Amino acid sequence: MGSTEVTSVPKKSSENNDIADIYGPNLKILPCNNQVKELQTILRDKNTTRSDFKFYADRLIRLVIEESLNQLPFSKCVVTTPTGAKYNGLKYQKGNCGVSIVRSGEAMEQGLRDCCRSIRIGKILVESDADTHEAKVVYAKFPDDISERKVLLMYPIMSTGNTVIKAIAVLKEHNVLEENIILSNLFCTPIAAKSLVTAFPQMKILTSEIHSIAPNHFGQKYFECNVGASIYWNLNILFFNLYINHIVY
Amino acid sequence: MAAKMQHFDPPSSASSESDDAEVCLDEKEIFLADELCEDAEHYRRSDIGTPTPQSPRPPSTESVIWSTCVWQAGCTWFTEVESLCHLKKTVRISKSSQRSPRSRRQRTTSLSQSSKKTSAESILRSKTRTIYTAGRPPWYNSAGQQVEPFVIGICGGSASGKTTVATKIIESLDVPWVTLLSMDSFYKVLNEKQHEMAARNEYNFDHPDAFDFELLKTTLQRLKEGRMVEVPIYNFVTHRRESRTKTMYGANVIIFEGILTFYNVDVLKMCDMKVFVDTDADVRLARRLRRDISQRGRDLEGVLKQYSTMVQPAFYYYIAPLMVHADIIVPRGGDNEVAIELIVQHVHTQLQLRGFKLREKLAHSYIGQPLPSSLYLLPDTPQIKGLHTFIRNKETYRDEFIFYSKRLIRLVIEYALSLLPFEDVIVETPQGVLYQGKRAATDKICGVSILRAGETMEQAVRDVCKDIRIGKILIQTNQQTGEPELYYLRLPKDIKDYKVILMDATVATGAAAIMAIRVLLDHDVAEENVLLVSLLMAESGVHSIAYAFPRVKIVTSALDPVINEKFYVLPGIGNFGDRYFGTEPSSIED
Repeated sequence: MGSTEVTSVPKKSSENNDIADIYGPNLKILPCNNQVKELQTILRDKNTTRSDFKFYADRLIRLVIEESLNQLPFSKCVVTTPTGAKYNGLKYQKGNCGVSIVRSGEAMEQGLRDCCRSIRIGKILVESDADTHEAKVVYAKFPDDISERKVLLMYPIMSTGNTVIKAIAVLKEHNVLEENIILSNLFCTPIAAKSLVTAFPQMKILTSEIHSIAPNHFGQKYFECNVGASIYWNLNILFFNLYINHIVY
Repeated sequence: MAAKMQHFDPPSSASSESDDAEVCLDEKEIFLADELCEDAEHYRRSDIGTPTPQSPRPPSTESVIWSTCVWQAGCTWFTEVESLCHLKKTVRISKSSQRSPRSRRQRTTSLSQSSKKTSAESILRSKTRTIYTAGRPPWYNSAGQQVEPFVIGICGGSASGKTTVATKIIESLDVPWVTLLSMDSFYKVLNEKQHEMAARNEYNFDHPDAFDFELLKTTLQRLKEGRMVEVPIYNFVTHRRESRTKTMYGANVIIFEGILTFYNVDVLKMCDMKVFVDTDADVRLARRLRRDISQRGRDLEGVLKQYSTMVQPAFYYYIAPLMVHADIIVPRGGDNEVAIELIVQHVHTQLQLRGFKLREKLAHSYIGQPLPSSLYLLPDTPQIKGLHTFIRNKETYRDEFIFYSKRLIRLVIEYALSLLPFEDVIVETPQGVLYQGKRAATDKICGVSILRAGETMEQAVRDVCKDIRIGKILIQTNQQTGEPELYYLRLPKDIKDYKVILMDATVATGAAAIMAIRVLLDHDVAEENVLLVSLLMAESGVHSIAYAFPRVKIVTSALDPVINEKFYVLPGIGNFGDRYFGTEPSSIED
């Protein structure tokens, strides 16, 4: 039934081919249609009000999350419908979890929750050094058995990709297989995309747009937090982390 | 009273007011009686010919006063003068001087089944709920095209018993969805001078010039095309049209009555059957005299003067010659049972010839044809299939069923929105560069859900469109005939300017969807502005809809090949509404 040729978004396939040529087969772009484009436009427009920004960001996040889940493995199954007929369906495999990169990655947590009600969600806090721009992991908390799970890594904006590379390194330290990671992302620059596919060729990446300018205002506008507060908050987590470590060790 | 009036008005017609409360029958019924009495009293205070400056009633209109009723509900309150006066006594106590001075005569009404008896049968009322058992069956053929309603024109002199005849026809027709249109609604707006004449009772309301035939023509034409119309409400005190109008929509039979219904050639052509009520002049005068003097406290002198200077001459000059156009002349008016029976028989034959049996025809055509280009199927991804697996599985518990259907609905709605028109736009970003993007070309989008299963999709539409307006259409399948029937509709007032997202969870034969689209088109929504969105459709349903309405975009997440004999899709979801709302007939689960 799905094989029927139905007018859907044109030019999608050719675009995808180009993407595959440059970035390899594991980077996928959310099928772009006018609707998605409108969401991206609203998020990039500097005149968008904060309430609109959050509203439309959540919509785009939902679409990206849904599409990321689409990358998860499925197995075939047959179910009986109330009419008594059989339906050849697909079943999600068990053993998935989400990991959000603090802080802007947390914006995507709700979208994931809306789709998977009781999914486990881990967190990574990556701080980049103000002078060297080098990313440093300061906090990480995952489900115990993360090494056996598929991981949906959430981070909305990538301009250099450094933060995400660090986060993935942490995941790999926890024995997560590279091919078990799916990176969900809203906006990505070509540089970040290139460096990620080079560093982690097995990882799947899903983004809604590759564009040379990243909308770096995302986290700030979504959470409406100024810089100071953000540092304060990050510090809190840092201390909390030290405290936890203190207890553990 | 004023508040009541507001309540009263919308449901009396196929109202399009969007935000009115649900129909509350009891209240309305009470009010109806009230309204009738008001009319009656008005008649008494100021009737034909008596120089009561306040409201000189045109001489042509009298006798029976029509009540309005809720046609969507498929029921009628029809009352004749006798019962009305009786009613009046009981209700009058409650109303008194605060009544608005404006006299309201609404003989133009939409009715469905006419007699009280049948209306009572079609509504079951319990303490908390009202259940309708008769909706409107399809009024279009399987190509979605309108089958014209049958128009009966009734002409005759004043007090000849036109309205009685009309009433009796409606009663014995026993057809739901009858609209009664009266010429009184089309009196011209009077200018200052004419107004004064009317006040002195010298304005001739029996003359053809007193009517706005142009408006009458377009109104009747649109009604005949099955379109929604706004019928003016004429105020006999100010001799102006009130700012409100009465919305009429949906009729299988239109009865059009008045003293000069055959006068205009174009109007005459629109009548499928022309009835002239020929009552002897003596009888008519006698009726007027009796009514005006005994019931309305007029003096003999005044009534006679009015009659001889205006009513009688007008009859001989204009009305009596119209008799040549009539197909049937009914002597003695409403008492003539034989004539009425003949008319009714003829109308029945005509209605049967127009044939309204749809569903079976829909289900069995178009097998094996390529899918229409107006169908937009969501990309068949594993995830959509996975969601379908959840909601199709009969073992799925309701909370999971609701959760996963909501996810699927959201995807379908997001996809549907992408099919709306967009325009290129360049925006400035906080990074200081310009960004070439898209914006929706219109913000006039509204949702319309087909009750009940379509309602489940409303939340998703609200989640993606801020402050969207949502209308509702209730269509139910008649268990006996298997045909869909229209029960209720409430649409945004200016829906014609909107892009409409029409929602129904599943589409099997497409019968309900076609009816809903027909309703939208009748409310002047452009066909290309309709987007039919659903979770699951049967191929045959898609074909039927696309054949009937090729420019309607059809959006769905899955297409099933077969429909079973109960018109369920196979393999299907089962009854979506029942599973979502937990109203399955048998106790399959929790």
